[in-house]
Amino acid sequence: MTPVLTAEEGFWATAYPVIPHPGEIIAGTICFIVLLVVAYKVAVPRLETMLAQRQAAIQGGMEKAEKAQAEAAAALEEYRAQLADARAEAARIREEARAEGAKIIAEMRERAAAEAERITEAAGRQVEAERQAAVTSLRTELGGLATELASRIVGESLTDSARQSRIVERFLTELEQSSPEEVRATAAPAEPAAPSTSRGTSR
Amino acid sequence: MTGSLAIVGYGLSAIGPGVGVGLIFAAYVSGVARQPEARGMLQTIAILGFVLCEQFAIFGIALAFVFSG
Amino acid sequence: MIGVPTSAGFVPPSPADFWQPLIGDGGFAITRPMFLMVLTTAAICLVLVLGTRRLTLVPGRGQWALEGVYGFVRNSVGRDVIGAAHVRPYLGLLLAIFTLVLVNNVMGITPLVQYPTFSRIGFPIVLAVAVWAVYLVAHVRRNGLIGFLKHLVPPGLPVFAVPVVFVLELLTFLVIRPVTLALRLFGNMFAGHTLLLLFALGGEFMLLHGGAFLKVVSVPTFAIFFFITAFEILVSFLQAYVFVLLTSLYIAEVYADDH
Repeated sequence: MTPVLTAEEGFWATAYPVIPHPGEIIAGTICFIVLLVVAYKVAVPRLETMLAQRQAAIQGGMEKAEKAQAEAAAALEEYRAQLADARAEAARIREEARAEGAKIIAEMRERAAAEAERITEAAGRQVEAERQAAVTSLRTELGGLATELASRIVGESLTDSARQSRIVERFLTELEQSSPEEVRATAAPAEPAAPSTSRGTSR
Repeated sequence: MTGSLAIVGYGLSAIGPGVGVGLIFAAYVSGVARQPEARGMLQTIAILGFVLCEQFAIFGIALAFVFSG
Repeated sequence: MIGVPTSAGFVPPSPADFWQPLIGDGGFAITRPMFLMVLTTAAICLVLVLGTRRLTLVPGRGQWALEGVYGFVRNSVGRDVIGAAHVRPYLGLLLAIFTLVLVNNVMGITPLVQYPTFSRIGFPIVLAVAVWAVYLVAHVRRNGLIGFLKHLVPPGLPVFAVPVVFVLELLTFLVIRPVTLALRLFGNMFAGHTLLLLFALGGEFMLLHGGAFLKVVSVPTFAIFFFITAFEILVSFLQAYVFVLLTSLYIAEVYADDH
């Protein structure tokens, strides 16, 4: 193609570029073999060793991290369990306290009711006793007074005790039969049932 | 006007590989557009196809020099 | 450069521009690409030896770059194509091919050097023959000669098609693959560099010897020159990648029945 420039340079200057130059083939072969030797003997083994070490290190690190994570998870689980326990404990204590409080209140109420009943009963009993005493003393006094009055009026001695008491009894029975309500009302004001209801309804 | 007919021949022979390379990369682009996650695999295949197609153009260059002398 | 334009007229770049003997002339002359090849090989060897001398688990900047290249060859090409189980014996081959092709291609656009070594077909032939020998030997060693020949014909073919396919496949294995491997690398580098030369020399000629119009036109010519330079960077990487990719694919075929 360019004969003017290359005519004096011989065959290789004008040769087709697809014809290999033997010197270059030899040089290329030598260079390539040297490079192959370096790559196989030095570079690849060193790099592979390092890569294997790195992989081992990374794997070890990952295992460590996994272990740490597992530990953390376990600790968290434990903490949660403890928290749940504490919560349950607190709830139980609260429940207990509430139950105890309720029990105490019930007990107190019961005791108060019992006390009230006792007081009421005692008062009733006292009133009854007083009434009884009053009735007794009244009866004695009234009997004595009546007999005395009667004996004075009649002039006859009524001191005979048997007769005297019989007379008094009869008198009192008559008295009670004539107005039992009045007598009882005046005699036992602390009796709760009948008088209070009658009073309540009358009002 | 003087010149080598081999160069014209090479120009003609480059049409085929040109069309082929265009088709390969068109398929590659549409493949990646459809499935972007397959890019790595498609890239290797596309370059392989490109190379196999291109080699005919390269033969053309070599042969053009062979027949131009 | 030989194609320096003269006032007589523009001389386009030609294959003769790639013939640059340094010492002597003829078949065994020491040429510029030979010198470059030795230089780049020495540089790569130096990097591979010194760079891997003190490898740490947490890489520094230099180690990180070295590991990037090695990881690319090892993982993106070797492991993905050949498979993790079989890739180990071929890692050195892949690493050597990739680094050699990449560095020498980049030499084509390195200022002051600007000569892609692989634009001389002698060098790609060496690599292609090496790959060819490796995958043939691996095939025969793993599957035996009979197994290798059987492997050529896919099962389930009609009887009359078997001989045709067999011959075609054998041709592919023995001739077409190494030839394409060598020619592809050579063609890309050669054509790319010729294009660079064309735009550089053409722009220079138009600027120095052209009329007013041609002087103006030389500006976009130089712009295209820079564009093509950038494109050559891409092609350099692509060709290095493609070379190891195809090597891995050919080797992977040895273990094709495995998975």
